[in-house]
Amino acid sequence: MPNFIQFNQVSRWFESASGRFDALKNINLHIAQGNHVAIAGKSGSGKSTLLNMLTGIDHPSQGTVRINSTDVHALNESALAGWRGKNVGIVFQFFQLIPTLTVKENILLAMDFVNVIPGRERAKRVGALLAQVGISQQTDKLPVALSGGEQQRAAIARALANDPPILVADEPTGNLDSKTTEIILNLFTELVGTGKTVIVVTHEKVAYVEYDRIITLKDGMIVDDTGRSRTQ
Amino acid sequence: MHIKSPLLGGVARSAGVGYINTTMNIKFRKVTGDLRVNPGRIILVIFALVIGLWGVGSILVSYAILNRDLNENYTRTNPLHAAITSKDFKRLDLTALRNRPEIEKAEFRDFATLRIETHPGEWIPLWLFGVGDFNTFSLARIYNQNGSGGPITPEAGAMLVERDGLRFSNLKAGPPARVRAGGRVVNVPVAGIGFDPAQAPGTQDHLIYAYVDNKTYSKITGEAANQRLIIRFKNAKTKQEVQAAADGLIDYFKTLGIAADTVKIPKFMEHPHQWQLNTLLFMEGSIGFLAFFLGAVLVSQLIAAILAGQIRQIGILKAIGASRFQVFQIYLMMALALGVMSGMIAIPLAVKSGYAYACFVANILNFEVLTTSLPHYMYIYLMASGLLLPVLLSLPAILKGTRIPVREALNDYGINQDAGVKKSKLLDKMRLPVNLALAFENTMRRKKRLAVTVAAMSLGVAIFNTGFNVQQSLKDLLSDVNNSMKHDVQVVLINQISKEEALKYFSGIGNIRRIETWNGGRGAMQNMVVSTDDGVGIIALPYNSDLLTFRSIKGRWLSGPAEPEIVMNQEAAVLYGNPPVGGYHTLSVRGKQLKAKLAGIVEEFEKPKIYMAQEQYDALANPDHYVNSLMFVARDKGYGKVMALKRDIEKAIEPSSLQVLYVMMQAERVKIIYDHLRIILVTIVFLAMLVLVVSAIGMASATSINIMERTREIGVLRAIGATPEIIYNLFVAEGMIVSIASIFIGLFFSWPLSIVASRFFGNLMLEVELHYSFSKTGFVITLIATLIFGWIASRIPAQRAVSVSTREALSYE
Ligand SMILES: Nc1ncnc2c1ncn2[C@@H]1O[C@H](COP(=O)(O)OP(=O)(O)O)[C@@H](O)[C@H]1O
Ligand SMILES: [Mg+2]
Repeated sequence: MPNFIQFNQVSRWFESASGRFDALKNINLHIAQGNHVAIAGKSGSGKSTLLNMLTGIDHPSQGTVRINSTDVHALNESALAGWRGKNVGIVFQFFQLIPTLTVKENILLAMDFVNVIPGRERAKRVGALLAQVGISQQTDKLPVALSGGEQQRAAIARALANDPPILVADEPTGNLDSKTTEIILNLFTELVGTGKTVIVVTHEKVAYVEYDRIITLKDGMIVDDTGRSRTQ
Repeated sequence: MHIKSPLLGGVARSAGVGYINTTMNIKFRKVTGDLRVNPGRIILVIFALVIGLWGVGSILVSYAILNRDLNENYTRTNPLHAAITSKDFKRLDLTALRNRPEIEKAEFRDFATLRIETHPGEWIPLWLFGVGDFNTFSLARIYNQNGSGGPITPEAGAMLVERDGLRFSNLKAGPPARVRAGGRVVNVPVAGIGFDPAQAPGTQDHLIYAYVDNKTYSKITGEAANQRLIIRFKNAKTKQEVQAAADGLIDYFKTLGIAADTVKIPKFMEHPHQWQLNTLLFMEGSIGFLAFFLGAVLVSQLIAAILAGQIRQIGILKAIGASRFQVFQIYLMMALALGVMSGMIAIPLAVKSGYAYACFVANILNFEVLTTSLPHYMYIYLMASGLLLPVLLSLPAILKGTRIPVREALNDYGINQDAGVKKSKLLDKMRLPVNLALAFENTMRRKKRLAVTVAAMSLGVAIFNTGFNVQQSLKDLLSDVNNSMKHDVQVVLINQISKEEALKYFSGIGNIRRIETWNGGRGAMQNMVVSTDDGVGIIALPYNSDLLTFRSIKGRWLSGPAEPEIVMNQEAAVLYGNPPVGGYHTLSVRGKQLKAKLAGIVEEFEKPKIYMAQEQYDALANPDHYVNSLMFVARDKGYGKVMALKRDIEKAIEPSSLQVLYVMMQAERVKIIYDHLRIILVTIVFLAMLVLVVSAIGMASATSINIMERTREIGVLRAIGATPEIIYNLFVAEGMIVSIASIFIGLFFSWPLSIVASRFFGNLMLEVELHYSFSKTGFVITLIATLIFGWIASRIPAQRAVSVSTREALSYE
């Protein structure tokens, strides 16, 4: 499925007192299913804004975003919530686990919201996901009791809770040491191996990982797109 | 299109962690988790909810009880509609009367006003009732001491005393009491104690009620029995209908050759002290509403602050797939959980204290609380308000929170930090020791909350101070009463006699400057709507007597002996529908009529009375210049000396043939009025205090929200070297600024509020507008109480601000 994710002429600008600021300018982008994509660029280049278009967290000012034949840009808030829950798992830089819930409960909560995993299978699935990200011992701990790397792995498990086809991560290793970074990035590679489409924003040197594509942004525009045609 | 993940297969194979979740469970876990994060804040919310619910709940409960029970106590006695006296009732066939279509019940119940010795040498009025049969009251029934059943039947020669009289007298079951009837003193054994909830409480009116059988009545009073008939009419729904029925009955009696002497129709189907209860219920209701309102403002502020702290989490919840409704559910559950927790504490308390207050009032007004179980709707109200209150109050904040777009929610850095608030400026100032300017600047920062806080606190101050001012107005009224009558002891006789006869017994008493003799009797103004029942008391006195100095409401005092003039007090003016001053009215006294000019209306806290010059009265109805009341002016007006004078007067009366209605010290008269107002004065101050406390809690919560919001700023201040003392003083100073602002605004508004409230309460209780008084004590207490409350209210959260470590504060979101 070559055009799994399609950005057509996507622009996003912000109005402010000092005038209009263009964070994304006429982005045209096609990503194939099962690809491992890195989005690179300096701080402020528009990486997070681009991801927000993809997850429906934010809407384009102009242009269309179509993912797996859904017009994401046209969905309203409540339709988006349902769509996002089923289709996109999100991993943030600052882990963003619910601090008052245990690791297991964080994952169950995501399942509860989206309600595609049958109730009876949930507990088992939590166990399997935590085993997959390698923190089975931390199941019943609160996030504060975990190291940064463990928290991020818990967040990845949560992003996978409802088995979404797409996983996006915004600077997931920005707060981690290099050893943990390697573990996390390898985890993403494994996930690609299971058929997920994984899109990672990073300004790390891309040393550890073989990406299918590396898209580089500058001032809201794609200035480099290495390996664009690999899967085509 | 759904993409099959190999992971699912793997999951199916791995052995499960215990199966725990139902749909609600996990969301509810989040709610309970959130509630536990900041126990201080949650305790504050619950505390505020409990106070609000408790206050409103106990008011609802006591209202439900009191509103019903005083009336129930009264109507349960089968109160009479009319009482008719006649010396000719031996010609009446009671059975035939009872068979008349308009009569529901009729019974003889003789009545005489005597005097009884309550303490050695102390005599007060005794209302003695002659009862036909203590086992079969058909109307105006009485009860045994605790109101649970019929009274005991006193043996011949003994009497039953009404229970309220025991509180202020030496009377008790067993030993005989000394009773004065006319010129004689009789020893009457007290056979037992009864309960008569239809009477004004004896403690307030300073009199004793007693009940005897017919023979004993005749023996004590020396009068024949069966001279007073009490009646209930069928289908009488208004006082006018009772009046008409009574008029018809009088005509019927005439055909039997029975001449009615008097016809008395009490207030229609209302306990004599219903007005006190109405005043209390009104105060309760309005203060309850106010406390509820203040509590509501406070709770909504706190819940909004909690939600503000959760915005980023809302963003995460939405990012991981929660719909707006699911987020809404979570916070709704939170509000409900708060409601359930506070309801569980507040509702039992409210029922308890509501009952306690109802019992307190019932005790003072001498009636029994009959409501043993509250009506079911009461519990529904209580639970509904307990659950709905937090939900309704948090609804705006919840809706706002759930509506915020995900991107903005994710970018939210905790509750408003007023990011970049002129920090450089703040830092500059921090080099100085803590100063008021900084506190002031901080106080001004959150204008909306500040406005709400100051408004709530000012309202508290205004009401608190108004409570004192109204109390002062009432006290001023009492001192007016005291000042308006300059005599020291008054002796009122049952009959009228010559002046010489009246005075001759008192010549030997030392501490008397002079004795003025007045006369008077019952009379009425004719051609007026209400000329029927009791009429008014007519007082005939020297027109220029210096014993009376009433405050004038309209017109002027009597101008001379030759003018046919009258002056009435405001109660009489109300009775006669505010007749025009300066107009001529026909006055009838002892069957004689006089056209007199209404010269003025004066303020007197008494029964309806009309004053006229002695000369006019004597010319009209008193050819023998008889007198019936003696006004003693003491030489030495000290309380003890006047007491001694009163005892001397009693001693002089004892062997005389004078038939005394009562002997009363002016100071006692004031005390009687005070006793009528006491419960209201106490309640005013209590409720005012409640409002101030609720306001202070509001302030404490606002301060703690401020501190919560500025935790990170506190961290910054600490990081650059501010000591805990500086920070502590900063927050306390902020609290004091709010208090002082509230004092100014509150005191300013308490002025018009006091004027309105004095008028309102005066009209409600006394049918006279109270004059606005400024209570100096109240002012000082308000000032001190507000400052202390303000200090405590800012001290507690400030303490918390100081206890947070710098690291925690800096990482606070
Ligand atoms: N809500 C917003 N309002 C105004 N400007 C914004 C907003 N969000 C992002 N921007 C601006 O858009 C540009 C791109 O932001 P972002 O996508 O977050 O960059 P990156 O993630 O590459 O560091 C930045 O200059 C940022 O300041
Ligand atoms: Mg970014």
